[in-house]
Amino acid sequence: MPDNPAMFEEVLSSSDVRTKSSRCVYCKGSKMLCGKSRCSVLARYFSSLGAKERIDRTELIGNSPPSVFVGRMGYPKVAVGPMIPPIDGDTSLMDTPERWVGLSIDEIIGFRSNLVRGMHWVDVGDVANTEKLVSRTRDLALAQQPPQVEAEFRRKPVGRLTVDDDVQPFGPSAPLERFEVANCRFDRRLEKAFFDTDLLAKDAVVSLYRSGSLVSQIQKAFSVGAFGLEKRRRFVPTRWSITAVDSQLGLHMLESTKTFPFINEFRVYETQSLDNRWAVIMIPSSWKYELIEAWYPNTVWNPHNDRIAIMSDHEFFEGRRTYASIGGCYYAARLAVNELLTRERRQAGVCIMREAHPGYILPVGVWNVRENVRKALSNPPHRYPTLRAALTHVSGMMDIPMSRWIRSSAVLKDALYQRRIEDFRR
Amino acid sequence: MFQARARAEILKEVVNVVSTLVDEAKFTVNADGLTLRAVDPAHIAMVDLSLAKDAFEEFKADESEIGIDIDKLGQFLKLARGDDLVDLKHDEEKRKLKIVVGDITRHMSLIDTTGMSDPKVPNLELPATVTVRSDDLLQGIRASETVSDHIALVASPDGFEMSCEGDMDQVHWKKAKKDLGVLETPSAVRSLFPLEYFSNMLKSVSSGSAVTMHLGSDYPVRMEFKIASDKGEVRYLLAPRIESND
Repeated sequence: MPDNPAMFEEVLSSSDVRTKSSRCVYCKGSKMLCGKSRCSVLARYFSSLGAKERIDRTELIGNSPPSVFVGRMGYPKVAVGPMIPPIDGDTSLMDTPERWVGLSIDEIIGFRSNLVRGMHWVDVGDVANTEKLVSRTRDLALAQQPPQVEAEFRRKPVGRLTVDDDVQPFGPSAPLERFEVANCRFDRRLEKAFFDTDLLAKDAVVSLYRSGSLVSQIQKAFSVGAFGLEKRRRFVPTRWSITAVDSQLGLHMLESTKTFPFINEFRVYETQSLDNRWAVIMIPSSWKYELIEAWYPNTVWNPHNDRIAIMSDHEFFEGRRTYASIGGCYYAARLAVNELLTRERRQAGVCIMREAHPGYILPVGVWNVRENVRKALSNPPHRYPTLRAALTHVSGMMDIPMSRWIRSSAVLKDALYQRRIEDFRR
Repeated sequence: MFQARARAEILKEVVNVVSTLVDEAKFTVNADGLTLRAVDPAHIAMVDLSLAKDAFEEFKADESEIGIDIDKLGQFLKLARGDDLVDLKHDEEKRKLKIVVGDITRHMSLIDTTGMSDPKVPNLELPATVTVRSDDLLQGIRASETVSDHIALVASPDGFEMSCEGDMDQVHWKKAKKDLGVLETPSAVRSLFPLEYFSNMLKSVSSGSAVTMHLGSDYPVRMEFKIASDKGEVRYLLAPRIESND
């Protein structure tokens, strides 16, 4: 596995992996922009992995964290089902990304690759289906503690690690024959929202978040169609449900943060993990927000050998109407910064910079962005009287020169170059 | 006290001009008419609007302030055709605005104006003056929109130019002095502006109107035009973008 990063670099630099860095960085193995049926970057990596993680049986017993997965292929007919590790006891860590900050890529891949995904195909609108495979998947998503799950597959799980830019990596998968969940208690809050068939999904998400449910819990229940008006409930593919929850919560908080007074100074928050460097710059201004990602040669989405790929998305006070081109991470980080602004009852302009270095060899999911921005914001900030001083600090922690960041940043350009009406009042 | 009757299209014009920059606004009324001044949330643009009392069919008012949710008012006015008459009455006790369109009456809750600022209009000396038809300006903007997110306005003694330079393409829109209503400038001036603001502001100008722009170098632009058949006036101010090389 990634215990040998040099091997992955070797794979990327081998002559038959041809990719255009500009495209790969936007596609990230999900949209097949290169026209191939499989992502060559990922494929090469898998083939080098071999099948050593095979879980070579058609029956599996273990405590599910609890965890479920809803696929997106074939939508609206998608594969739903439990994720089960061949492990007993408290496995909750395996599906609680909120607790993963500080772990290495190897550790995360290590336990995630043990999660076997059971698959059962169902129409997304068919959430009220009384088939046991469907109702038990839903019950599992609402469980409070890791219940014991016993599954029988139609064939042996196919052994490979699934990685994705939005979704946490997971292990082999197989079609389900049957599965059973031991008696378990529902999470009280999730259960209440589930039985309230007049409560809009959006309001359910917001009230659960307010009452302290974890984003990952809400997202799991969201994906099995546990919220919303009775007739409109549906399964939501896991990767979409993650961003739906991040985005809804961010928008909800923005309704108030946009009315709060500005912060009083320029701030820089920072953190590092998985060979990613993060800087969050806050500007005393009305709400604007940007996430800029810079990928070094030979990092996950930049197989090019010689140049850095930079991409970014932003919104100004009015928000945005189109989906961010950099994907779910945009909304995950927006949620994290709004948590801080809500806590402080302050408004700010925010520019997040992420520098991904070559040690970041596998995508681990959007949680990485949400949790690391949260982590950065939990540290005390460096405070500065001017934006120039704040940028000088950031220059010291990043390898990419500040001029290059500014060139890619709508928010920084706005802050540096756009004058305000009051600048002309004498 | 405020009580008035106006043609719907005039109120719609006011809503258009104001909603470009703000969602909520404080209108000040007195015996002479109605005025409004507001700055957008990012403090990049400002609107200064006045509507004389003879823009209305009937108008009675003492000095007072009315805080209005502009989107709500705009939505309601969609029920009226242009030449329908709309009755407005301020109920100070209940803090509501009563609006009547034909058979429909709406009592609209007002916004508390105590926290709303009174923006001062900066005192600017802008050397250049140019008058252009709004439709011509919109044509130039349409040509620029796909090229870059900012636009340069350049006035020189022989003409007026809007130019837009992106990473790949450049667009220039130019009119010679003889094709312009008014062009007065002692020397060439140039300022750069955020295109989205400039575009949204000009889109709120009724087709066929003349827009007078006052310009300087690296200074805000003041755009003036008439509304309500010349019985009202709008002055927009837009702050420039100044790209320094440090």
